[in-house]
Amino acid sequence: MTAPSISPPAVNPWQAHTVKIRKLIREGLGVTTYYLALTEGAAMPSFKAGQFGMLYLPSVGESPIGICSDPGDHETWAFTVREAGNTTRGLAALAAGDTFGMRGPFGSCWPLEESRQSDIVIAAGGLGLPPLRPVIYEYLRRRKEFGRLTVLYGARTPDTLIYAHEYASWQQQGIDVQTTVDRASLGWTGNVGVVPLLLDRLATLDPQRTVVMTCGPEVMMNFVVRSALKRGVPVERIWVSMERNMQCAIGLCGHCQFGPEFICKDGPVFRYDRVAPWLSIEAF
Amino acid sequence: MSSSAPQAPADARWLARADLQSLIDALIGQGYEVIGPTIDQEAIVYDKIVSVDELPRGWTDEQEPGKYRLARRDDEAVFGYVVGPHSWKRFLFPPHATVATADRTPEGWKMGTPDDAAPKYAFLGVRACELAAIRVQDRTFLEGPYVDPIYAARRKQALLIAVNCTQAAATCFCTSMGTGPRCTSEYDLGLTELEDGFVVEIGSEAGQQIAAGLPLKAVAQAQLESAETARQQAIDQITRTLNTDGIRDLLLGNLEHPRWNNVAERCLSCTNCTMVCPTCFCSSVTEVADLQGEHVERQRQWDSCFNFDFSYMNGGILRNSIRSRYRQWLTHKLASWIDQFGTSGCVGCGRCITWCPVGIDLTEEVAAIREKQP
Amino acid sequence: MITTEALKQTLREIGFSADLPDAVLDELAAVSAMVDFPAGSTIFQEGADNHFLYIVRSGKVGLDMYVPTRGRIRILSIGPGDMLAWSALLGEGRMSATATALEDTCAVAASALKLREMCDTNHEVGYELMSRMAKALSQRLVATRLQLLDLFADTATHSRPRS
Repeated sequence: MTAPSISPPAVNPWQAHTVKIRKLIREGLGVTTYYLALTEGAAMPSFKAGQFGMLYLPSVGESPIGICSDPGDHETWAFTVREAGNTTRGLAALAAGDTFGMRGPFGSCWPLEESRQSDIVIAAGGLGLPPLRPVIYEYLRRRKEFGRLTVLYGARTPDTLIYAHEYASWQQQGIDVQTTVDRASLGWTGNVGVVPLLLDRLATLDPQRTVVMTCGPEVMMNFVVRSALKRGVPVERIWVSMERNMQCAIGLCGHCQFGPEFICKDGPVFRYDRVAPWLSIEAF
Repeated sequence: MSSSAPQAPADARWLARADLQSLIDALIGQGYEVIGPTIDQEAIVYDKIVSVDELPRGWTDEQEPGKYRLARRDDEAVFGYVVGPHSWKRFLFPPHATVATADRTPEGWKMGTPDDAAPKYAFLGVRACELAAIRVQDRTFLEGPYVDPIYAARRKQALLIAVNCTQAAATCFCTSMGTGPRCTSEYDLGLTELEDGFVVEIGSEAGQQIAAGLPLKAVAQAQLESAETARQQAIDQITRTLNTDGIRDLLLGNLEHPRWNNVAERCLSCTNCTMVCPTCFCSSVTEVADLQGEHVERQRQWDSCFNFDFSYMNGGILRNSIRSRYRQWLTHKLASWIDQFGTSGCVGCGRCITWCPVGIDLTEEVAAIREKQP
Repeated sequence: MITTEALKQTLREIGFSADLPDAVLDELAAVSAMVDFPAGSTIFQEGADNHFLYIVRSGKVGLDMYVPTRGRIRILSIGPGDMLAWSALLGEGRMSATATALEDTCAVAASALKLREMCDTNHEVGYELMSRMAKALSQRLVATRLQLLDLFADTATHSRPRS
């Protein structure tokens, strides 16, 4: 039946912005951080920590990447990207001044509002730190609203620790930053071992007062959660960021489903207990 | 649903068989492209029609798990079949569509979206299960946080001329899903075919507009009774059932049930079921560039969760077995869908059973899981 | 020189031994002493004999194993609450890694030989001690497996050809 109440959307969700690379930082070993601005010079849309954008390289494809800049910065968004497939390899060939497309922000966000007056423990691994960096920036700007912030971060090797150039600054501003690697290299004097061990040992943890936000490989997140629960962090205070194949980012292509959840619109950030039943099922 | 004494619906009229062409003409006259049933490649499919001669007069379909055949009727009914491999989703959610564009300019890439006018369709012959399926897809494409512009534009101006089933196929189970066989919801015009014509029910203002231009007569009580009898026949002929009691928890609570291994041995992961299913909505987007790489179209096309690399991520495939892909499809269709959209994703049309090359019957699979609870 | 009572209190505070029954803590304290390892010092060498089981109270210890042409590789760092040199109690005392204090480290050192005797003669104590060893080692094993999974590796390392 003709349905007068149906309207095509005011903003077409497939419409991409044109963005220009303001600057890029080669983080090393195939990882690059791109700082993007809209070509028209208008302010970027606002986003919340944990959300992602679809980076679009015309004729190559789109790639979902977490936004890793300060939500308070309205001029630029940053994305830290590792070369993995065609789109990200195509991005790696670009230089400052080049343009491409972007849609976003999409998805759910880290529970910053609900974490006021609480301590926050960020437990991240590998490329799981970028989507959590906005939380760190937000925390630094709104210190008084939160308790203590601890960052537990692990990577494969010392030279793959992302944002290493910022750790000292974060430490100086009162954030407890602990890093660890799976494999040490010569001269590494830091921690060796997996991220969950850092949480096992965290002496300053006040479980009832802490929110745990974790992002990284699914196996790592599962063990971080186990560790958090073992330490007595209530299950409603544990949040994960999930990943699945994403194509449309608007919940209509079906690819990103994880049980009943669409990672792109119900996630990627979920309270752990919401996705717990599906995490233990193989190939689901 | 049981039959009761037929009451004249608010706006029921009679259209003589000889006047059916006037309905098509009236629709075309109002600017609609009429999509109706017609025979192609030995199946009754939906395609553009302009004449009653293109309808499958005197044909019916015989369906079983893994079998679809056309057979001659002994009358001249034009709607004397059930459902074929097509559903109306191919017109509202087209198999190929451009969703966005990119053009290289001296100032950089310019991003756009297509603004071609949407076709104005009149769907002639929409079954109750298909009306339900359209409503299911409405919830997906129109009622979430993001509205699909292509579906919205086409759906907004689509006219639905429903047809009440007067028979059922062996693969039908709409009664179990609460979607039919009676057309009760949201059509513009509703037809019930009798030997010498059609009981026409007017379901909306748009339907009234069309009806106003037709040589409709008053409907006789006898005709109403015959229509009721005919509709009841469809109900009586349904043999297949799906027990939907607690089905959400039944399936999502049995993700490691041995039955999944069993069905995986039979399933070919061929994607037929998802192609013919009127509610499946998975799609993918590919880039199509011109030779100079200056104009790029982002083209959306139907995809299927049964495709091998549907769940590709980070260099590997998550659902890398037929078992996990079949489980994904069935649990989505009958269970997760309820969490996502508030209703089942299945309307009981039976197409997936008919068009499965190995005759997998999801009603049987669910029954098997229900019967043997570990 | 720390008193046995103080030692017992320390053991009560450390993860590994915290929930041991009182009687067992007494026995454990009786054969233990507090030791300090300044940052940079070697606690024991890979391949050498060591007959002390350590429970770290504060600080950080790196465990290294030597591979010819690759040199000494740090395979794990441990901290407060962790156990060190389990081979002293469970094996023959030959260390499978070199332990170096990465920071000033304070640990409880328990005589492995005396602990073994204690376990042999008093099975209750033996059971309590061994079950905590088993639990600590199983956690260590799971953590090692996670390292082995190489979760942060480039996807190319783990890609499989499409079938």
